[in-house]
Amino acid sequence: MSTARSSFPPVPTLEFQLKSPSVWPKFSPRLGQLSVTRPGHDTPENRGGKVELLTPGLMASTTRGVIPHLTRDNVRRTPCVKWVHVPFESFLQVDPPIPTLQKSSYPLHTFLGFPPAQHLVSLSLRDPADGREMPPNGKLFAAAHSSRGARKVTCPAYRSYITATRPDIVFSMSDIPFNSPPHSQKRISKSIERSAQWLMSIFTPPNAPLVTEFQDRPTAGLASESISLAIQRLNVFVHMVGGIQPAARSAFAAALLEPLEPKEKQLVQLATLDEGVSGYVFDLVPIRVALVAERAETTASTRHPYHPSLSEVNGTVTESLASLIRASLQDLPVTKLRLVNTAYSPHEMLRLIRDAGVDLFDTYWAQQAANWGVALDFRFPVAPDQGRKQAATEQPKKYQVGHNLYEQQFAHDFTRLTDSLLDDLEYSKRQNDSAAASLHSGKSELAICSCAACSPTWSNDPLLHSTSDDTGIELGKRESASPYTRAYIHHLLHTHEMSAHALLVMHNLTVMDAFMCEVRAVLQRDHDLNSHSGSHGQGMATGSNALPGANGATFFATEVARFEQMYDDGLQVLAEAKVCWAEVDLARGKGRLARERAKASGA
Amino acid sequence: MHFEVLAQCSTTKARISRMVITLLPTFMPVGTQAAIKGLTSQQMEDFGITLILNNTYHLNLRPGLKVLGEAGGAHLFQGWRKNLLTDSGGFQLVSLSQFTKITEDGALFASPFTGEPTLLTPEESISIQHTIGADIIMQLDDVVPSLTTGPRVEEATHRSIRWLDRCIAQHESKGQAKQNLFAIIQGGLDSKLRDICLDEMIKRKQSVAGYAIGGLSGGEAKGDCSSTCIARCTSKLPVDRPRYAMGVGFAEDLLVCVALGVDMADCVFPTRTARFGVALTFTGPLNLRLSRYSHDMDPIDIACPCPACQSGTSRALLHHNIGLETATAHAVTQHNVVFQARLMGAARDAILKGEFPGYLRSFFRTYYGETGYPRWVVDALQSVGVDLLEGIQDPKITNDDGKKWDYAQ
Repeated sequence: MSTARSSFPPVPTLEFQLKSPSVWPKFSPRLGQLSVTRPGHDTPENRGGKVELLTPGLMASTTRGVIPHLTRDNVRRTPCVKWVHVPFESFLQVDPPIPTLQKSSYPLHTFLGFPPAQHLVSLSLRDPADGREMPPNGKLFAAAHSSRGARKVTCPAYRSYITATRPDIVFSMSDIPFNSPPHSQKRISKSIERSAQWLMSIFTPPNAPLVTEFQDRPTAGLASESISLAIQRLNVFVHMVGGIQPAARSAFAAALLEPLEPKEKQLVQLATLDEGVSGYVFDLVPIRVALVAERAETTASTRHPYHPSLSEVNGTVTESLASLIRASLQDLPVTKLRLVNTAYSPHEMLRLIRDAGVDLFDTYWAQQAANWGVALDFRFPVAPDQGRKQAATEQPKKYQVGHNLYEQQFAHDFTRLTDSLLDDLEYSKRQNDSAAASLHSGKSELAICSCAACSPTWSNDPLLHSTSDDTGIELGKRESASPYTRAYIHHLLHTHEMSAHALLVMHNLTVMDAFMCEVRAVLQRDHDLNSHSGSHGQGMATGSNALPGANGATFFATEVARFEQMYDDGLQVLAEAKVCWAEVDLARGKGRLARERAKASGA
Repeated sequence: MHFEVLAQCSTTKARISRMVITLLPTFMPVGTQAAIKGLTSQQMEDFGITLILNNTYHLNLRPGLKVLGEAGGAHLFQGWRKNLLTDSGGFQLVSLSQFTKITEDGALFASPFTGEPTLLTPEESISIQHTIGADIIMQLDDVVPSLTTGPRVEEATHRSIRWLDRCIAQHESKGQAKQNLFAIIQGGLDSKLRDICLDEMIKRKQSVAGYAIGGLSGGEAKGDCSSTCIARCTSKLPVDRPRYAMGVGFAEDLLVCVALGVDMADCVFPTRTARFGVALTFTGPLNLRLSRYSHDMDPIDIACPCPACQSGTSRALLHHNIGLETATAHAVTQHNVVFQARLMGAARDAILKGEFPGYLRSFFRTYYGETGYPRWVVDALQSVGVDLLEGIQDPKITNDDGKKWDYAQ
């Protein structure tokens, strides 16, 4: 019997623990902790360590392997970014894909500059925000989009990319149609069948010999000669397919739970497919497209970059999304991660947490807001007196969740980007101010936006290019700098300067992280209240999604309602900013000289 | 203004000095519109940069003086706490010449955005620079393209002297002590005119904190022209004033200028070429768009301390993304800014240690050894006592300007 020791370092261990008692209603909001533990290694880039994330939480979107507009040192300046999601398809423009050539224990992390000690990197084939029309998938391949056109990707090929790049988490290849809906019954059935089959192939190590015994998860430093093959159990997430048909979604879930045939069982060393799955993914783009087509209201936006119209993101749509998510998850274990891609507003995120117990969201919309010059600025929970002020006015106009910094009103506005959060300097000032301290019992009511735009820091650790360079600096002493102002960013946006977007991305990601912190804090209050109260069975018995409380309402549900009342869920500010951005880009961006010349000759 | 020479190279005319908080010789990156494109002030400071340039003409248009005044000046506006230099708008007379008409009064600009006319007088230029609040401000000079010949050049030379006087008057009556006015020597490529300008402007030495050598970098030939011209200027300019070569950015030009006694220079080249995918190295530029880099897993320069190279950003990744991701333009920009700083930092160390000729020889051997030494570089350095070709068997000499490029193979 051959001793085949794994030639790769072991896959990091993914653990997800729910804080909330699992006896609570299946789709109620829950608190959790996710951790990825890396086995110790000798390479400095992979010196043991754990990356931990609390849920509900966030993952950052990337294009072509980078967080748009952020250099690696700016990613370091934004420590709230932990989980980074990488769609692989952009690398398919050459063969073999470049990341597979990186020599490292964690090639994808190293190639893209996301150190394993700080970041969790997940990989999918397709970009979840890419809804453009694609050639149809086949039985054995999915169509992926690279900058040199569509590529057919087979399971073995995808598997080889995973093996070569070693992401922490892998999204299985799925058959999601990207052509105009509605999709026929036959097409949906195919989608279910293929996605299950492709999931199976992810679990199949390439060229795996048959093993006769069920192996435990391998640990580092295996030396035992009695184990014939250490099966590397990847951390796999699966897209929940089934389009907009609840029955189809249930059918896919059933396929995951179906006991495997003996041969299959032997091959993948799993009793069911679901056993090998660590998380469930919901890509909202194709779902929205299908929902809108069904209502035959308008053609959904499949333009790229993805920017849904108002009719695609309102409350009714979110309700449909939540019910589709529940249809998929009804029979599946509650203990696994629920991840939603391209939720398009804080409202939608809150509703999906409330109605479907979603754990993770990508920050696509917040990053896109930065592309268009919007600095996010909102409070959750809504301030106590903010609500009262609103009620007092006759026709309360909803607040926007951010500021379109293109607007003229900001040209002379020398305040920081947010009203809802403080900057570091002001926070310190308030702490030192004794009068304020006594008023607020030494605690500031507002949290800090610690981003590099609102709370920039001088490192006092510059590169020294000659031996006489360092005079006059207290080396290494970090100092707070004044926040970048709305007036400055307004100026940068109008002069087509790219640093505007770098600052706004760092800011928006930080605001989103602060938002999730507050969401967890409110959920914690519900958690604490209900872990002290008596029976939890009521919720289950009545079948309601609400936790037991005075009148069935939870702190969280109340705060979500107040938030919805206060802030516009149509994200008007984003639509307006996009128009401004397009104007400046036309006047100052690529192709401007040609346009000016044409205008001059035409005039 | 605080300026002291710390050490002098015993062979060439190079010296190491301190000007306010900046050590010279140095290269100044250009942040035209109150930002180094794509980068924040924190990043620039972390790269070890202490002096950057902002552009008066552009800042006057956008964001405008009202905003800058309300912000408390350009430093506070862009969050930059080190030194700032503003040029007067003189260069835009040349670069945006289709929009300008020069008179004795000043320059009449038509705004490229609105067509609205603005008269930029020497007084107005200084006044604007006062509001911007840079540590070093430049006189408004009458700039002609360096290849221009004829009476226009003479007119511009004399006018620049008259405009210097008007700038001095404005600055001394309205300005603050912490802002330091530099004069700009004009005269084109005509040595007689340059001498006239030098003599006159040196007479104003007590009212002037430094001298710039302007009107070059307009496409003139390197050898007989710009480096000769610079040598002539530096030989006459007082040693107790910094010398600033305007619009010089290529590595070879910078080092020759330093050897000729220049202390500082600015240019958009390193940052602009970065955005077009060209990374600067000690062996020459890398055009990352070329397919030869598509599988190159090495960083631009393994010894470079910039964040891109330090984190091992591969040429392959840069190649994959250049022109498609702003983050990649920023990464190459960071690298090029740091490259320029390293080039000048090493020069400073060499001058301080009395090893500058050796630095020149070793830099140019790495840079031009394979492709050939341009004659103008050899001659210029010969003129200050450095024999680049010493000890080299069969040196390769070229007669071109020595501008290095990275060609597809």
